[in-house]
Amino acid sequence: MLLALSSPMLSHYLLTGAVLFVLGLVGFISRRNMIQMFLCTEMMFQGVVVTLVAFSAFHGNVTGQTFVIFVLTIAAAEAALALGLVVLLFRHRRTLDASAWSALNG
Amino acid sequence: MFPQLVLYLATVCGAAALYLLMPKPGRDLRVLGGLLGAAALGGLWLVLLPLYLVKGGPLGGGELTLQTGFDGAQLPFYYAFSAVGIASAVRVITHTRPVYAALWFVMVVISSAGLMLTLAAEFMALAMVIIYGGAILVTYMFVIMLATPPQAEDEDALTPDYDRFASEPLWAAVAGFLLLAVILSVAFLPMAPNQAAKLPDDAVLQASTFTARQTVDELKYGTPTGYVATDSGQTESIRNVEHVGLDLFRSHPLAIELAGIILLLALIGAVVIAKTRVDEPEPDGEPERVDVGPVDPLSI
Repeated sequence: MLLALSSPMLSHYLLTGAVLFVLGLVGFISRRNMIQMFLCTEMMFQGVVVTLVAFSAFHGNVTGQTFVIFVLTIAAAEAALALGLVVLLFRHRRTLDASAWSALNG
Repeated sequence: MFPQLVLYLATVCGAAALYLLMPKPGRDLRVLGGLLGAAALGGLWLVLLPLYLVKGGPLGGGELTLQTGFDGAQLPFYYAFSAVGIASAVRVITHTRPVYAALWFVMVVISSAGLMLTLAAEFMALAMVIIYGGAILVTYMFVIMLATPPQAEDEDALTPDYDRFASEPLWAAVAGFLLLAVILSVAFLPMAPNQAAKLPDDAVLQASTFTARQTVDELKYGTPTGYVATDSGQTESIRNVEHVGLDLFRSHPLAIELAGIILLLALIGAVVIAKTRVDEPEPDGEPERVDVGPVDPLSI
């Protein structure tokens, strides 16, 4: 059965999703450990997923939930590539500090 | 005017809380930060409270009733799961040890899976726990294990500087919570569901799609066509997994193919990146530049 969510409850779920997204964003900007930065991008995905499922329940349509499957696909691909890169960068400099690569500023 | 003011105050409060909670040199004010953060979340929920106290409602009359859109007792679970999820998310971005940050992230995943259960999206909840908690987090754990900096002798230097101090926590918190204020002022507006997007009734879908199951159930229970009867005699609707599967394979066949290609490319890319040879650096952290020079072919 599809839940028919009321508009105020949708706002509640959007609040949770937005807070998760913003916390991930703040973490991505301010943390310096590369592993933790990519953990924060996964948290931004979590916020988006909560929002998508809430809208799916609000509109009585499962397309939002279907889209979550594709978000998960992208998240898995991103995690594999990003973590491969992190290991590669670590082997270059022996540190996980993102500011060790500030020479890339240009 | 008043709800907007509370909203802005709460986001400012949240930014201050996050700034205090971030690891940085100086005095430890994390208790104050936690209290401020709880106040900010409470303030945001307070803004939403008057919205679903509706006059009239199912009880009729003039008194205020609670209209949540939930037919069960999901409301306390929403508050519990989102409080746990947001607190764990704060822990993920403020913890100084990446291993513990990853473990707190598992908590975020589990609570957002709980939120999806309150939204009657069981398949999504299980997929989140299996894919995030089971697959992606294990990958993170392996990388944390592989990419551990050389351990120093003294206890103080066990966590390196880049883990102990965040960079620009103030500006990050300000920018993030400015974004939050903007998103929430839109998200808190009343919205109307799109009636045209609503799925057809379960009985209609059942009659057009699950004809084989109908005959089986007819044989088993002797019910008329059009719906499936359970043992309790109640009609049972289509399950969440079936809804998602129908939508996925009927409406998005090309997207499935593309997702498969993306996964294959990511797999190949990850293998290529992991197999790239790196010359081990000098202990001082500078990359070693291998000067090949004239090579004696006999020495190889």
